[in-house]
Amino acid sequence: MPKLTITANVNGRKISRETQPFSRLLDFLREDLNLTGAKEGCGAGECGTCSVFVDGTLVKSCLMPAAKAQGTRIETIEGLAKPGSLTVLQKAFHKTGASQCGYCIPGMVMAATSALRENPNADIEEIKERLGGNICRCTGYTKIFEAVEMTKAILAGDSPESVLEEDKVGDSYIGANVRRLDAPSKVSGRLKYAADIKMYDMLQMQVLRSPFAHATIRSIDTHEAEAMDGVACVITADDVPGNDGFGVFVHDQPIMARGKVRHVGEAVAAVAAEDVLTARRALSKIKVEYEALPGLYDPSEAMKPDAPIIHDYAPDNLIKHIPIRKGDIEKGFAEADIILEDDFSTQQVEHAYLEPEAGIAYVDPDDVVVVISPSQNITHHRHMLAEIIAKPINKVRFIMSPVGGGFGGKEDMIYQGMLALGAMKTHRPVQLNFTREESLIASAKRHPARIHYKMGLKLDGRLTAISFDMLSDGGAYGMSSEGVMRKAAILSCGPYKVDNVNIDTRAVYTNNTPSGAFRTFGGMQAQFATESMMDMAAETLGMDPFAIRRINMMTIGATTHTQQTLETASLDRVLAAAETASRWEKGAPTVRGSERRDLCGPDTRQSCTLGARIKTNHNNPRFCAQVA
Amino acid sequence: MSRIKRGRGMAASWYGIARTATIDRAGAWAELDDGGTGKVVTGVTEIGEGILTVLAQIAADEMGIKPEDVTIGDNDTARSPEAAHAGATRQTYMIGNSVALAAREALKVLHEELADHWDVATSDLRAFDGQVWAEGTNHRMSMDEAVATCKARGVVPVGSASFTAHGTGLDPVNGSGSPWQAYVFGTQVAEVEVDTWTGEVQVLGIWAAHDVGRAINPRGVEGQIEGGVVQGLGQALMEEYITDKGHAITHGFAKYILPTSLDIPQINSIIVEDPDPKSPLRAKGIGEPSLVPTAPAIMNAIYDAIGVRIKTLPATPERILKALRERNPKQTPVARDNRPQRTNTARHSAATI
Ligand code: FES
Ligand code: FES
Repeated sequence: MPKLTITANVNGRKISRETQPFSRLLDFLREDLNLTGAKEGCGAGECGTCSVFVDGTLVKSCLMPAAKAQGTRIETIEGLAKPGSLTVLQKAFHKTGASQCGYCIPGMVMAATSALRENPNADIEEIKERLGGNICRCTGYTKIFEAVEMTKAILAGDSPESVLEEDKVGDSYIGANVRRLDAPSKVSGRLKYAADIKMYDMLQMQVLRSPFAHATIRSIDTHEAEAMDGVACVITADDVPGNDGFGVFVHDQPIMARGKVRHVGEAVAAVAAEDVLTARRALSKIKVEYEALPGLYDPSEAMKPDAPIIHDYAPDNLIKHIPIRKGDIEKGFAEADIILEDDFSTQQVEHAYLEPEAGIAYVDPDDVVVVISPSQNITHHRHMLAEIIAKPINKVRFIMSPVGGGFGGKEDMIYQGMLALGAMKTHRPVQLNFTREESLIASAKRHPARIHYKMGLKLDGRLTAISFDMLSDGGAYGMSSEGVMRKAAILSCGPYKVDNVNIDTRAVYTNNTPSGAFRTFGGMQAQFATESMMDMAAETLGMDPFAIRRINMMTIGATTHTQQTLETASLDRVLAAAETASRWEKGAPTVRGSERRDLCGPDTRQSCTLGARIKTNHNNPRFCAQVA
Repeated sequence: MSRIKRGRGMAASWYGIARTATIDRAGAWAELDDGGTGKVVTGVTEIGEGILTVLAQIAADEMGIKPEDVTIGDNDTARSPEAAHAGATRQTYMIGNSVALAAREALKVLHEELADHWDVATSDLRAFDGQVWAEGTNHRMSMDEAVATCKARGVVPVGSASFTAHGTGLDPVNGSGSPWQAYVFGTQVAEVEVDTWTGEVQVLGIWAAHDVGRAINPRGVEGQIEGGVVQGLGQALMEEYITDKGHAITHGFAKYILPTSLDIPQINSIIVEDPDPKSPLRAKGIGEPSLVPTAPAIMNAIYDAIGVRIKTLPATPERILKALRERNPKQTPVARDNRPQRTNTARHSAATI
């Protein structure tokens, strides 16, 4: 294909450079100009990490063909300030702590810059709308808004530039709001994440993934792919030299499907080639013969006697059952004046870190297999990979690249093994960057949970017994399921004194996308049910929600559900702090929203409807007359 | 019945710090380096939470230097001591304490040399913010000079440490055991507005009170609370990964809806400090606990507003409308789900402004 020459003004310099005719502006910037501050968070115009200015207008460079940039003036994050310096907005991001993982931040800085350039007087509601095309998964946006408002005030002369400086420290650095040391590298787009790194002579990997949820692999024919010009190697499970299997608790997952596939999107084979396009073309030349097996998609079906078996070692499809027993559950319910019983369920949730999985592997001159990736657990990955590739542990080296968001989702070694095998087979550096779609279908999710709950209480609000039964869909592989079930069980009945508990948590295999570690590790699912039940009990008993929790709360010396004696306990203080700060109006939770007098405080935001923002809502007499 | 309803709800929570039901450990090396700077090496650090800065503060405080003078070498299994993984709300607790202990040891080595050099007791020596001095004397020098003095005496001031958290496994039959040595507690209040015609819920305010033991960097703690709350809000109201016979139908951010700037409540963080008695820093953690009470607080607030209890997450407009219909079959709310359009509009607004 003939190349395309783009002539443009980029960050104040005229450049003329060749690119592929199908390049997007994002590819041109990242691949041809090495301007990696713009990131590919989604490739579909939905996240904003690729935002740049073209002729002064903010655009998502993943949506713009490079050819359209011909003759334009392009400004990227790298060009906002002179090398080594930061704009006021970037400094404000530094000061307020508006960058966490940093992956969204170059795009966010561009969007905020655009907002303030277009309207230096924009109020916070307008700023929020203008940032609406940029997703941040880490910060909760709050410190980003603060940074934009701080910048606005400085640029308007309402605030001195000195507000950007480090706070003075007293006699200790503990407890000081030291500005994040990594913020300058993030707000300037300088920090290199795994997908931003280029190595000399590096190959690109692409992965062939299963279109079946459950199927036997009859054969894999890689000959045609291997023979292609530009292809360096094709790897399958047959290339694994050691004991194939990884997982956080049970090593039930092969590097690539071995004999059968257990979920849609599971890796079946991979190609390393001179470039991504060649690798993708080669994938289409790999012939896999599948024989579909009956699938299992509902965790309730998994333990039935005639259910399909997902893993031979677990004929009952049970990944883990955690039981906790304390006291006498029958007696506890017999003592209760009221018994509430209900069911709850939670959904599968995606981590949605803005940085899709990415990594590089190479074999160093001393024969050490090196893997660079945003792994949350390089220690365990090193153990597992050494076993899988049959190398002494000191011949395997993991380097954790800057993590563009993890939240538990980067604890599983779902691609590092393929990279290592590719590097070992070619003795060249190999890089693999997931697309967003690949990341969504191949990475673990938060365990969805179905909870059956039974709670017994005295009329004065004291808990006498809780029976808690949770079933979770673990999906196709074990990953963190065992630990998630354990943590869910331990925390399930909440920070309350209950003499009689009966807790069971179970995770089962299905042919759904695997579930794994996700911020709270099961604690959220379990306590969602408990905290809903506590409010339902409070309503039944006519008690204030804070009051019923205080009656039952664990204090120092309390025995937990696992019979540990607590040596510290601060629930009394956090309850008081939240109650006071929110100006909570006491009363039973009996649908009294329309009578409350604690709504619409200055510590809430305005409600909004997009495009027709109700600016006067705080003065809306329907609610706010109540707030004197 | 008025279309727009408001309400409030609360939820409490607890959480354990560091790895669950097992012993946890982390190692670190430290050195007081030339120019009065510091060097810290440990196995695992930043995933976005701000731990690099926290570790620099801890090392600086222990070694008597400034955080910006600390260089951290990390995240390499072949070049740094094991610190296990980045998760389980263990970074400040595990890595933080191991860095504190290693840095403390490096300073002790330096102090021993200086005590001899000045002929004072080591117990009289102090160091802070780049200065070293002997209490009750005129002896004082910069950390730059102090390191040079120490090295001129033939000693490199280094330290190393391992920190342990003593969790125990659970009994396989009755689950008894001591899974963590440190627990944290939290409480959140949510204020919501529900549009009973569209089923849309907006969270307008969150008050989040969390015990963190001791806040090393309060602004960083707030950042973790704000991020956790918004992930909790996403799970409460909009996020859902859906598969059909194992095939994802939410395979992009157009289908998998995430909170954007327009969904964010005012988040009021209240940091409560109940120091941990079992660790030198007395800090605990906040990464995961901040997310736990958000969804139930929002569901309790929705109930307060409209009298329907959502027991299946997320509380999408469709679910809210369905629940309202079931509660009051005579009234038919206008079944119009405007969330997808709303989100798309939001997503593209910045591009078209
Ligand atoms: S919007 Fe371009 S990468 Fe997401
Ligand atoms: S800081 Fe925004 S996505 Fe991580």
